[in-house]
Amino acid sequence: MIAPKHILGTFDEALASLRNNVLMMSSLAERSLGNAFSGLFQRDDDLCALAIADDEEIDQLEKQIDKDGIDLLLRFQPVASDLRRVVSAMKLSSNIERIADQAVNTARKARKLNQHPALSEMQVIEPIYQHALAMFRDGVDSYAREDVTLALTMEARDTTLDQMNAKASQRLIERMAQDPEQLRGYLNLMFIARHLERVGDHATNIAEDAVYAIAAEDIRHQHSAA
Amino acid sequence: MVSLLEMPQIVSNRVSHETAPSPEQKTGESMIEIENLDFAYGTNRVLHDIDLSIPARAVTAFIGPSGCGKTTLLRCLNRMNDLIDGARITRGSIHIEGIDINSPGVDVVDLRRRVGMVFQKSNPFPKSIYDNIAYGLRIAGVTKRSRLDEAVEKSLRSAALWDEVKDRMHVSGYGLSGGQQQRLCIARALAVEPEIILMDEPCSALDPIATAKVEELIRELKTQYTIVIVTHNMQQAGRCSDFTAFFYLGRLIEVDTTSKIFSNPSQRQTEDYITGRFG
Repeated sequence: MIAPKHILGTFDEALASLRNNVLMMSSLAERSLGNAFSGLFQRDDDLCALAIADDEEIDQLEKQIDKDGIDLLLRFQPVASDLRRVVSAMKLSSNIERIADQAVNTARKARKLNQHPALSEMQVIEPIYQHALAMFRDGVDSYAREDVTLALTMEARDTTLDQMNAKASQRLIERMAQDPEQLRGYLNLMFIARHLERVGDHATNIAEDAVYAIAAEDIRHQHSAA
Repeated sequence: MVSLLEMPQIVSNRVSHETAPSPEQKTGESMIEIENLDFAYGTNRVLHDIDLSIPARAVTAFIGPSGCGKTTLLRCLNRMNDLIDGARITRGSIHIEGIDINSPGVDVVDLRRRVGMVFQKSNPFPKSIYDNIAYGLRIAGVTKRSRLDEAVEKSLRSAALWDEVKDRMHVSGYGLSGGQQQRLCIARALAVEPEIILMDEPCSALDPIATAKVEELIRELKTQYTIVIVTHNMQQAGRCSDFTAFFYLGRLIEVDTTSKIFSNPSQRQTEDYITGRFG
């Protein structure tokens, strides 16, 4: 159900602007992830450089969202669903910024890997990347479309991602023992798998914040509280 | 019936966050029970089937758009509406500590002593600060000077006004600032030792500093008194009250803890009103 507009048009404009900036930031972070991993898979340093350079714009957007959120709290003193939307937008931006950082970390390691002959174990990264990317997209989608059902799928998907990461690490450790000359390369691939595992954690956080914004439910840390 | 007392976890939460009450304090028990209340001005029914239980020693805020009946309901609680021709309760009852306040045997003067009221605009009497406070006690037959002195000082201290006026007790109450006049009126209400204090937009004419002083006073007073406040200021309701009741078109739409009302109200009408989507 679409909420009616506020009596104050400036309030609606400020909320819409905040939301648009969050969605813009997520698009840029997704593009950075795409560039970083294309740079890795296609051994293209230019794409890696692009992912690293784009981070500046994402950082600035995070600051802008924080500034706009504070300004909104200050000027309109939002309550109920409006307050939850502002708080969630600010928390989302922080998680998106960290996802973009994982893209930068990956791009830096990809450039190092590109200096050496290709490792066939690169293929273990691809499914992890696809899984983490889908989680990120769906996390943001659950926020944008106010889809609690989609958001609630994330925890199980994050567990799957953790298992994929563990399995990949195991395989890479085995390869290190078999092929110690490429130790540095395998280590970088392990770090990249770990970056993707962090992307999944942030995507889960995004979905949790979306649930809070939509339904006022705090679904974080439910296992630890039990 | 909508009763805040049916939410034991809420009441116990509130108690646990406050200074431990003394044994005689009955925090969380119901002080006022409003049941199936209808009220009309002549043929114009303005309150419809109000069911509400107001807890003792807590602040309950009434919010809602102008004309929703919140002030009318407030004025029912000490029968101030008796003074208006044609205004009457057409159905239902109001009990305070188990006593039906509209039953024929109730002494209205005594009821208004027990249920004090502070109005939107401060209304000190054209008398000295001292005489403003002593007025109610003198009406009640207190003449002994030492007892009056004691009660005046105690009331002014309770209203956080003593330090500001102790050296000019015999100047006119009109000489005080707006905020001080409002606290003088609160002190005047406290002097007759009420159990309940009704506040009808007590800060609407005050600047932010004076408002903060009154709000701080409300916080201190709620350990001893049951307070019901009508306010149009959502932030004030959020800051001051433990429970909030939202009224619309003469009906009680929702009542809950203030935290719940302002974070995640159950009713769409409440959400639309507090977020400024009404209209």
